[in-house]
Amino acid sequence: MAKAPPITNRIRELREAHDGMSQSALAEAIGVTRQTVIAIELGKYSPSLESAFRIARVFDTDIEAVFGWESPPRRT
Amino acid sequence: MSMLTAFRNTPFREKTAWVMAAILIAGAVFYFQMVAGASEAIGRTAPPVVGFVIAYVVVIVIASVIAMTALGATSPREAEAPADERERQVADRAAHWAGYVLAVLLLGALWHYSVNQDGHMLFHLGFLSLMVGQIAEYIFQIYLFRRGV
Repeated sequence: MAKAPPITNRIRELREAHDGMSQSALAEAIGVTRQTVIAIELGKYSPSLESAFRIARVFDTDIEAVFGWESPPRRT
Repeated sequence: MSMLTAFRNTPFREKTAWVMAAILIAGAVFYFQMVAGASEAIGRTAPPVVGFVIAYVVVIVIASVIAMTALGATSPREAEAPADERERQVADRAAHWAGYVLAVLLLGALWHYSVNQDGHMLFHLGFLSLMVGQIAEYIFQIYLFRRGV
């Protein structure tokens, strides 16, 4: 099985906060298929930087409000 | 959920991979049954018949076109849409892995020839390698669509 990338996202939560936007509507807005939105939400696929920005724009927020990096904090 | 319903709900690109894999597997089984039958009849490896190979390729192409047209008719929007970034990544990775399968099988065919000096078998194994390499590509696509890139 492909290893899930350590990228977290709040897409589902943001969709629900935006009048329950459907996965299909989000897919159409960012130019991918619904299956790709599902894969991103489930953490099975890390979107390109371009798609990540498009998603943030749809929700009128910053990219870091949508995606996070799940890893131990870096040692300094 | 019945298998038919499950297939109907399958995303278009995965559906095409299933159909193409099924067509190629059926074609490969048919081809090698013919070769095995002919070889048994003459008591040694049957020589390749170029006309049969060409007919096989034409039938596979026609079957694929018919199947793709039928699938496209059931989901016209998905069929016309270009592959998105994830689908392109799935296709690239599947082709990459299938390349290894093809290489290993071809090396096996060459090794078989070096041991047995059977040129007819080399042809059939080379052809089989091409078929299995292509089938593997569709199977890898299905795997990656389902399990993630």
